[in-house]
Amino acid sequence: MRVVVLGASGFIGGHLTAALSAAGMHPVAASRRPVAGGAVETAAVDVLDGERLAAVLSGADAVINCVCADARTIRDGAAILVEACARAGMPRLVHFSSMAIYGAAVGILDEEEPLDRGAGWYGAAKCEAEDAMRRYADLGGVVLILRPGCVYGPGGEHWVGRIGRLLRVRRIGDLGAAGDGRANLVDVRDVAAAAVRCLQASAVLQPVYNLAAPGAPTWNRYFALLAKAIGATPLKRIRRFQLQVDAWGLSVGLKLLEPASRRMMHGASHLPDPLPPSLLALWRQDIELDARRAGADLVHRWTPLEEGLFAAADWFIRTYGPGAAKA
Amino acid sequence: MIADATKLEDGAELQADVCIVGAGMAGITLALELRHARIKVLVLESGGWRHDGRIQALYQGEVADERMHSPTDRYRRRVLGGSGTIWGGRCIPFDAIDFETRPYIPDSGWPLCHSDLLPYYHRANEWLEAGDFDYSAASSLPGAHPVVQGLDGGDVSTDGMERFSCPTDLARRYRHRLKESPTVKVLTHANCVGVSLDADGRSVRALACRTLSGLRFRVKARRYVLATGGLEVPRLLLASRDVIPQGVGNRHDVVGRYYMCHMASNLGAVRIEGPLTRVFHSYVLSAEGVYCRRRFSLPARLQRSLCIGNVVARLHFPVITDPAHGSSVLSALFLGRRFISYEYNRRLQSARPVTAADHLRHLRNIVTGPFELLEFLAHWLRRRTLAERKFPSVVLRNRTNLFSLDVHGEQAPNRESRVTLAASEDELGVPRIRVDWRYLPIDVESVRRTLVVLQNEFHSRGVGSLLFDEERLEVDLTRWGAYGGHHMGTARMGSDPRTSVVDADCRVHGTDNLYVAGSAVFPTSGQATPSLTLTALACRLAEHLKATVARETT
Repeated sequence: MRVVVLGASGFIGGHLTAALSAAGMHPVAASRRPVAGGAVETAAVDVLDGERLAAVLSGADAVINCVCADARTIRDGAAILVEACARAGMPRLVHFSSMAIYGAAVGILDEEEPLDRGAGWYGAAKCEAEDAMRRYADLGGVVLILRPGCVYGPGGEHWVGRIGRLLRVRRIGDLGAAGDGRANLVDVRDVAAAAVRCLQASAVLQPVYNLAAPGAPTWNRYFALLAKAIGATPLKRIRRFQLQVDAWGLSVGLKLLEPASRRMMHGASHLPDPLPPSLLALWRQDIELDARRAGADLVHRWTPLEEGLFAAADWFIRTYGPGAAKA
Repeated sequence: MIADATKLEDGAELQADVCIVGAGMAGITLALELRHARIKVLVLESGGWRHDGRIQALYQGEVADERMHSPTDRYRRRVLGGSGTIWGGRCIPFDAIDFETRPYIPDSGWPLCHSDLLPYYHRANEWLEAGDFDYSAASSLPGAHPVVQGLDGGDVSTDGMERFSCPTDLARRYRHRLKESPTVKVLTHANCVGVSLDADGRSVRALACRTLSGLRFRVKARRYVLATGGLEVPRLLLASRDVIPQGVGNRHDVVGRYYMCHMASNLGAVRIEGPLTRVFHSYVLSAEGVYCRRRFSLPARLQRSLCIGNVVARLHFPVITDPAHGSSVLSALFLGRRFISYEYNRRLQSARPVTAADHLRHLRNIVTGPFELLEFLAHWLRRRTLAERKFPSVVLRNRTNLFSLDVHGEQAPNRESRVTLAASEDELGVPRIRVDWRYLPIDVESVRRTLVVLQNEFHSRGVGSLLFDEERLEVDLTRWGAYGGHHMGTARMGSDPRTSVVDADCRVHGTDNLYVAGSAVFPTSGQATPSLTLTALACRLAEHLKATVARETT
């Protein structure tokens, strides 16, 4: 089975490509600047380039969209992808959406929860991308939408790398009320396994799946577990005031400086991580993804947090060095 | 949401799936645990956000012997958050032995065991912000200096520890959760004044409520939970006599009986041999940043063979009132005791009259040790006053290897120790309580035998010495009467209605929709402070209510 992975150079895409190979499928690792040389076939493609996309997709049995980018690429890229698929023989389409489409909702949410289009550029773009996917279904295509929570694991910059760095410099820690939202974490290997399962003919599938391991910890608890695993202990209690100053003062400036820093440093920013206010909002949000549907159809065993953290922390320590616990 | 009952219409009837009376530690935990369960929860709280003398006065009652028990409006608060607004933050689970039926302690034994409560202990620890549920120093505090070098591994355990909450006031800490919840409603200034039963006495029909502003209203719910603490629960049950003359749940005259606190005091003289570095008696920070403290206890097998209750002891600074300690910090605390709240200054009161000479000697301590005092004040300001996670108590630097012991021991259940109704009524017409707290010889004997084991252990292992006056032990242990604030046992849990008030699900025997949350249900008192266990029981009750109410509503 020939499966094109869009966004294969990313965190999820990389794990996914490996999982497809392991499952005996034939992945094509597509991205804007693919790194050739591995055992996996690669393809250079920009999802905003419909012609090129259709060419890459021709002959594919399936395509998995895990492009992570700016709002325009997410939104327009999805629409262009649907068109390209229609021209390329209607391959099965697996689309990575996000829990961000639920916006500011609270409570335990299953897949029937209505989308919240008014909460931030990312969630809004992801909602529009889902709309494009539903058009593909209307055209007669087979499309599956996966809505993962916070995907973590080895190589996960968002929820391991960045969080670990912030913990080590004590910009975050025990956040009190600012950190008692739920961390709907899901191990990247579970995410990859779910996507692979979506392609298997034997599977009986629903159109949409939430992906999050059951028993989501609070963010405070996740920070404590990660801090222990990477040697950023003892955890410091962070006052609300400090977080606010960090998010609204320091981080806005850092965000503005980031593009310049990337240019000067040839792609890699060496500035401290910004702590955007949207992240603070997420850490407070009392939202729990109900992923029982995926548990029944896609993921036969969710990786427990302790086990997933072991691998993630191992990657972090190899990348950033062992931490020294403060006395 | 959070609303004010004084804005209701007079004579209103409110509906809910679950009605919780009391927004203290148990009540708020219960409401928080139920917030996603798609059932309508109504919490009635007598107080508001701020302490109010008129509301607090509803707690006034009588005490049989004022030397033995503090006034009934002390050590508890009639506000949102309840007594959790003034608690010290100490979290300790009950030990496995505390749940067992011990033949040498009459009326001991819970209808559930430690492992039944374990998953809920984990949740309780998280609500109270006490880090991981791990109360072994070996695994929680790896590499920490032993309390006393050379004492481990014998008859005395030093592995047990307590963890300290911020201390977290659940109402303020989780205010945003209560406010934003569409299914949980907290009603302030709402006093439950009576539990009305159906004619057959088997179910609660409604709760009669009043406000101090003069409104009356009723609440009808599928389930009712009394979470008003160890003194108000028996009061409400006993005062509701319209169908059962002895009071709700009191057919067998058990409500209000078996009232327990703890046996506690600061006594004895410990001298540790060797260098000052042999001892580490202060708090240790766990990996999660939680203050932890280890203490001495006797393993279960030793408690069984000695036929004693569960007792713990911590190394403590010398007796504060006696200026002979030479510490400027202790002397400053003693002289400034008037500025410390009632609940925390009781132990600063001297057993004998303080003379002018004592005052002068305390003053001399301060004048001769200003740097110790300044260092202490700076630490206190930074780590306590200004910190969100507060340094739990005064700990002095060890300069002499001399300590006293802070002892905290189990009080055995005693049918004659009881809370009854007094003849007078409060402003809302509810009979006041009368507290007659009594202890048994075994309560003193348990402490005595524990101290003897400690004494022998210190001596035989060459650690040092422990001196205490066996003749005066009972006097020392009851110098301040019952340990304040730990009100337990007045609606005890058990399977036999003749010796208990609620069953293992915390449901009042003989009723099908009335429950009790809080330390009133503890059949025995253990060595532990009650907060963590009552929070865990609230989590467990939430699970039960979720399952049973959801079955009915769908």
